[in-house]
Amino acid sequence: MSLANRVSVASPLISARTVEANEFPELSARFGVQGVPRIVVNERGAFVGALPEPQFVDAVLQLAVVKSEA
Amino acid sequence: MAILTDQVKRQVHARFAEQLSGPVQLTLYTRPGTGRLILPTGLGCRTCDDARQLVDDLQEAAPDLISLEVIDVSVQETDVREVPTLTLACPGESPRIRWLGFPAGYEFATVVDAVERVSSGDHGLSAATLEALGTLTEPVDVMVFATPT
Repeated sequence: MSLANRVSVASPLISARTVEANEFPELSARFGVQGVPRIVVNERGAFVGALPEPQFVDAVLQLAVVKSEA
Repeated sequence: MAILTDQVKRQVHARFAEQLSGPVQLTLYTRPGTGRLILPTGLGCRTCDDARQLVDDLQEAAPDLISLEVIDVSVQETDVREVPTLTLACPGESPRIRWLGFPAGYEFATVVDAVERVSSGDHGLSAATLEALGTLTEPVDVMVFATPT
C-alpha cells in the first residue's frame, strides 16, 4: 500500500503526509504538482511516480541528504 | 448518502477483526461543513462532513481498539490549518501519519492499511530497507500528493 506510511511505521524519524491534490490547490501549486503521485521530501526535493520499495527508499534518502547538506 | 456501503463496512470489520492487535488513535481535524459549497480558502469545509462519517465508520469497525477524537479547528486552538486532516498514531505517541483532505477511493485503502500496520507494528518492509532507514539521523518529512482515483 502506501510506502510513505510504511516507512513511517518502521522509522520514528519519518513522518508521512498524504495530500489530496485537488482539495488543496494552493499546496499543489506551491510544490509544483502536475502529476500524481508526487513525493516531496522535506518540502524541497521531489520525484513523481509510484516506485518499487528499494527505489522509493533510495530516492527519499537521497533527497533527505540533499536537504540536510543544503 | 452513506460513505461506505454495508458490504464495505462488513469487509473492513472482518479485516480489522483479523489484523488489529494493538490500540490506535485517530484524530480528525475538522471545521463545520458547508455541504458542497465551494468557499474561499479558510472558510467552511466542503469535505469535513464526509470525512467525519468515514472515520466514524472506521472507529465503529473496531471500537475496542480504535479511539477517535474530533477537533473543530474553529473552536479549539491547534497548529493544523488544512481541514479535514486525519492523523493516526499509537495512543500517547505523536502522530507521524496523516491525510490532508477527504481520503476517498484509493486513499481509503491506504487508511485501512495504515490502521492495520500501526496497530500490529508490521511495516512489511525488507531487511535492506530497514538497514537503509537505520542510517537516518535527522527527521524526514515525506509528502505524497495523490488523487482519489
